Amino acid sequence: MTYNEILIPVFEDGWFAAIAAIGFSSISNTPRRAYLTCGLTAAVGHSIRYALTVPDWLGMHIIPASTVAAFAIGMLAVLLASRIKCPAEVCFFPALLPMIPGMYAYRTIEALLSCLYYTQGEAFAYYFHLLAYNGLTCTFIILGMVVGATVPVFLFKRLSFTATR
Amino acid sequence: MYLETLEKMTSKMNKTDDAAVRRTAAFLADYASLLAGCGATCIRTEKNTRRMAAAFGYGCDISILPTHVYVWVWGAEAAQREMAVRKMTGGGISFHLNALLSRLSWEVADRHLDFPTAVGRFESIATTPPTRPQEVLLLTSLANASFCRLFGGDAAAMLTVFLSTLLGYRLKQIMLEERCDVRLTFLCASFFSATFSAGGHVFGIGDTPEIALGTSVLYLIPGVPYMNAVSDVLYRHYLCAFSRFLDAAVLTACLSAGLCAGMLIMGLKWF
Repeated sequence: MTYNEILIPVFEDGWFAAIAAIGFSSISNTPRRAYLTCGLTAAVGHSIRYALTVPDWLGMHIIPASTVAAFAIGMLAVLLASRIKCPAEVCFFPALLPMIPGMYAYRTIEALLSCLYYTQGEAFAYYFHLLAYNGLTCTFIILGMVVGATVPVFLFKRLSFTATR
Repeated sequence: MYLETLEKMTSKMNKTDDAAVRRTAAFLADYASLLAGCGATCIRTEKNTRRMAAAFGYGCDISILPTHVYVWVWGAEAAQREMAVRKMTGGGISFHLNALLSRLSWEVADRHLDFPTAVGRFESIATTPPTRPQEVLLLTSLANASFCRLFGGDAAAMLTVFLSTLLGYRLKQIMLEERCDVRLTFLCASFFSATFSAGGHVFGIGDTPEIALGTSVLYLIPGVPYMNAVSDVLYRHYLCAFSRFLDAAVLTACLSAGLCAGMLIMGLKWF
């Protein structure tokens, strides 16, 4: 793979993640001055996750990749929060939202309903496998994300709680 | 004679102090209930409230329950102890309020704002208007369309998601303005968005209609309460964490039900 083949999708991923973060942050009444920081934080985090999970490059599993990306988001949020005079969670919550595994959650519910419908052994086992796989992946991605993003808040507790000072 | 006068003066001073402690407790309870109600984590609510109490020269303890906040404030003497209880305000998540209230606590601590000024600032913050609904509507629709792209949707799927979010989110705004139940609102908005985006599936618009359908309701996922719940667990506020998690889970179930109903009504093969 050439660098262009990796970098262009990485930037594209970051761009759309930034728009998603800004949009979702507006639902939570984020101050306008925080939009750019939310977008930047989300772009960096999502691009890192994308780059880590590219199969022909690093090929990391989505769970550790999400944790690493969330850690980067948490670090950036803690460092940038004092610049915009907002609590750190104002930056990292919207930035994490585009990484929430919505499709895994959707497939989990789809598999759950299929399990209820298909009661025959083989079909049931297949959909139960999908239910377990998607459900566990979804749960561990969210846990990894939250832990990854919260670790910087613990590490830099003083900085995190004095951002609005 | 002298002793009697001294006793009277001490009693008058104590009464004044008691009133001050009572006023401070009431103010801090109002502050904590607004901060917790706008989506701040329990640890932030605790820290900010204690910081302000210390700046006013009082001791403070706070207990945050899922729907109420209890604040105890005490002065130099053990007898001067007041408790105030407030129901948590349900104005929805607002990071703007969270930031303003956090800043107020630092202003009280660092700039030694006097009590009436702090109360005045607080009242002014409490009436801060939310982000304009049109702005939120447009940004959310763009965000969900971008979300669709992140999941691999093509341009047609993005357009479908943009329009379905625009319609669904507008319905959500209208229903919340009319003070409809939030669970019913989530169900209806999800149903509306899913039915619209299922049209892309039915009429074969684009190459990835299933991604459009799956993404069309994701703007309703209550991500902030889920993350707040984990943060509360980390700081051992288990009751609030459990409550926030259940609230979010109920809303997720409502949006899933709306999605399923939308698919069924459009005749999509779910199973």
